[in-house]
Amino acid sequence: MRYRSQSIAYWYFAVAMCLFGLQLVFGLLTASKYLGPDPLLDFLPFDKTKAIHTNLLIVWVLTGFMGATYYVVPEESRSEIYSVKLAYIQLIAWTLMGVTAIVGYVFGWTAGNKMLEQPFPLKIVIVIVMLMFLYNILMTIKRAGRWTVTEGVLVAGLAFAAILYLPALIEYENYTVSIFYRWWTIHLWVEGVWEMIQGGLLAYLLIRLSGADREVMEKWLYVIVGLVFMAGILGTAHHYYWVGVPHYWLPIGGFFSALEPVALLGMAMYAYFAMRRAGLSHPNSLAVHWTIGSTVFTVFGAGLLGFAHTWPSVNKWTHGTLITAMHGHGAFYGAYAMTVLAMVSYTLPHLTSDRKVEGSSIGYWAFWMQVMGMFGMTLSFGTAGIGQVYLERILGLGYLDTQLKLQVHFLMLIATASVFATGAALFIWNFFRTAPRSVAAIDSSTSAPDLAPAAHTNSAVSG
Amino acid sequence: MTKRQGRLFFIICTLISATAFIGLTVDSHRRFPGLTNEDKLTPEIIRGKDVWHNNNCINCHTLLGEGGYYAPDLTKITQQRGTPYLTAFLKDPSQFYSEEKHRRLMPNPKLSDAEISEVITFLDWVGHIDNQGWPPRPIIVSGTTIPGTDVGQSPTHASVSTDPVAQGEALFRSSPPACNACHSIASGVNLAGPSLAGLATRAAAIIASPEYKGEAKTPTDYIRESITHPSAYLVPGAMYSANSQSFMPDNFAVDLEPQQIDSLVAYLETLK
Repeated sequence: MRYRSQSIAYWYFAVAMCLFGLQLVFGLLTASKYLGPDPLLDFLPFDKTKAIHTNLLIVWVLTGFMGATYYVVPEESRSEIYSVKLAYIQLIAWTLMGVTAIVGYVFGWTAGNKMLEQPFPLKIVIVIVMLMFLYNILMTIKRAGRWTVTEGVLVAGLAFAAILYLPALIEYENYTVSIFYRWWTIHLWVEGVWEMIQGGLLAYLLIRLSGADREVMEKWLYVIVGLVFMAGILGTAHHYYWVGVPHYWLPIGGFFSALEPVALLGMAMYAYFAMRRAGLSHPNSLAVHWTIGSTVFTVFGAGLLGFAHTWPSVNKWTHGTLITAMHGHGAFYGAYAMTVLAMVSYTLPHLTSDRKVEGSSIGYWAFWMQVMGMFGMTLSFGTAGIGQVYLERILGLGYLDTQLKLQVHFLMLIATASVFATGAALFIWNFFRTAPRSVAAIDSSTSAPDLAPAAHTNSAVSG
Repeated sequence: MTKRQGRLFFIICTLISATAFIGLTVDSHRRFPGLTNEDKLTPEIIRGKDVWHNNNCINCHTLLGEGGYYAPDLTKITQQRGTPYLTAFLKDPSQFYSEEKHRRLMPNPKLSDAEISEVITFLDWVGHIDNQGWPPRPIIVSGTTIPGTDVGQSPTHASVSTDPVAQGEALFRSSPPACNACHSIASGVNLAGPSLAGLATRAAAIIASPEYKGEAKTPTDYIRESITHPSAYLVPGAMYSANSQSFMPDNFAVDLEPQQIDSLVAYLETLK
């Protein structure tokens, strides 16, 4: 850690870790309801636990992105953060918003729109916090008068994420129009600008971990983000199947969704070749695991599992089944959760004291248990979904009768989810195991071995 | 390739994709009113949409295939279940399904009568959105059909025979009217409606009983009356009727051709 204000990242990551843990508690609770009967039916039924589960995901991943940005921007712009105080005020407001939302859902305060359940006043708080964040970051870059493509992509992604949240503030009388614009936020987030953020963080990690040449990395970063946008923007069409929009969205969705795995494969190859060219000599091998793991799991969860049900003639049968849950879990985990965990793993030796750069065996257990557990969870949802499509959609068995026949898959889900949750618990425990570095200690912490020469290349473009 | 070319590639890809997307969005807006029957969007339906959102229905059910995957899809529910049934169900779901038997149950949403009526009109409006014919065959809430049956085919194509009984049987399994979404023909298998096994035999006993107040004199008449005027005789059970009104939709006298009713009666008469 070269800049004092980078320690802000620790507190963002700490909040993210707490919310991650809470997300899994609600995830396991939600999964157990598939087996039934539900003793919490009247207090905390499925709809509430599921809304909390998905909202916690969005909040913790965004918290992680913000923390990562507070860590990356000082290094890239070679400057302290513009206002450390504002960063902490922002974190407090953001956390309070998140906690209020969760408590609100328990008591039925909800906008009832999938993944945009936040009631209107809280949506306003989200917008204000995002603006505070962007202001702080942009002022830092402006004051430094120096920015790099890597941070440019990262910050542009975050800015677009804020802009794309705006359609969610408007209410529509027509349910189909409401669905249409809901995806402007959700899809263009996760398959557009969040991937831009992922790309930016990935480029940062690869440059740091492999010492790969910045010029080359940033050139390909442009290409990857270009591919992601080309496929991702029109790929929104795959959410417009069967919801009352014009027919032409079907072939468009089919074609551009097929391109999405190509863009994601490009990202994985980007990481692989960077590592191959520059070698895997970085001592923080745990962070290397998370970084490469994230790109591989993105190809699997977002790319392959998404493509598995995105062709219109297939989706006609799988639409609205557990097949979607299979893809949803694999995609969010691989692309976003793992990216944040990679950033946490990379920065942890710098942000906390008494920690080896190489990571500990707990860190590896956390990695492999999560990866294996999530792989098992996608298999459970996938096999349950295939059974559901066959019995319910093709043979015509009733919905409830079909679900009863899928009990074995739900048992499998809970078993694999427990492995995953154990891995996540180890990760969280490992995070909090040692104390954060005190500000005084920061100055004495001389440059970490990975402050690679790449950081000093002349790639900076003046503001 | 240079970094400059990489940047150009990014800008061009994004611009092309975004321009096409915005163009298609504008065109979609032009088509929304026709595809969604926007002219029929009444204040009551919009209030129904608010009920739908306020009660977080989407996080268990799916609507147009979007939602929670934990409870049945409701896109075409009003075409499978009549308003009296849905009203009674929403008042107290535990009268219809049990956690012991189905492992999951809808919690009582505690809606007012007005809210129930509004959300049903909203669901009915959704059911008439032109969504490229999805689902390709009806998704039913509960019950079974025999594998390989012709659910989802139009009645005219369902049977190759001109025999009224065969046509009636095909119609029974077709959608609409989707009789078998609520009625099983297996003895003791009661779905949303009572099992029709042994119907013809039972009909004679019902007509003779003092509870019967309808106009039928023969089992054939009784079966016809049950289709066209479902409330003429109410099968006992809180899950089949409320306030002297059967939950079975009463639109069949109007929506089915007389010849279709004849063939249904001919088929149901064979269930002895």
